[in-house]
Amino acid sequence: MDFDTTVKMKLYEMIAGRADPLAIKIPTLANIPTSIEVAQVLGVPLEDVAAVFERLHKKRLLVPEPGDPTRIRMAPPFSGVETPFKVRVKQRTFFANCAWDSLGIAAALHEDAIIDASDAATGEPITLEVKLGQPVAQECAIHFVVPAAKWWEDIIYT
Amino acid sequence: MLFFRSEETVDRWCKQRGLPRCPIINLEQLWFLAVTWYGNRLTAESRRPGPDEMVQIFAQVGLEGPFWDPKADQW
Repeated sequence: MDFDTTVKMKLYEMIAGRADPLAIKIPTLANIPTSIEVAQVLGVPLEDVAAVFERLHKKRLLVPEPGDPTRIRMAPPFSGVETPFKVRVKQRTFFANCAWDSLGIAAALHEDAIIDASDAATGEPITLEVKLGQPVAQECAIHFVVPAAKWWEDIIYT
Repeated sequence: MLFFRSEETVDRWCKQRGLPRCPIINLEQLWFLAVTWYGNRLTAESRRPGPDEMVQIFAQVGLEGPFWDPKADQW
């Protein structure tokens, strides 16, 4: 496995474990580790991990926190900040970047999940459930505002 | 992309912001996209689909046209 893949795998492994209160080893408010934490866990120089983060961003696999490249805003489908898309998996809580990513967390973890979101127009709570590998059917609409060609012009807005 | 209870609340949201109504998909379509995009994200082999793959993936759930084409310059 090449170094970029090693870093990416460790990052996602830490995210998946980080949201479990029993697995937290490095106290932090965010669910996504920093490049500093990943470098510490791997025992490699920080600048090497920072360079990988940059390459993963160019491949559209990570989005750094604006103004602080040591932090990650998005490791899709996971968000590094709290969002209106809260995803509960067993005893763990994650935040997703958008409606798509909220189901994406269940898909990535291959786990059942409960998604606490809301109607963007009315604020009415919308709770979705993924059970036995499928979403439980219910009335809801997912609206895309930005065309695919524009998604990465401002991925945080998208 | 945002959740709404119904197409009526999508229209209300668009009107509030002076935005045009854009494509709406249902939960089943969203789940297909979630699994296709992220089903192997925690594996070493994971990667983001390329532009042509994206078009094919969207077409599998009936999402076609320039809005769903990452190479389109008009939509």
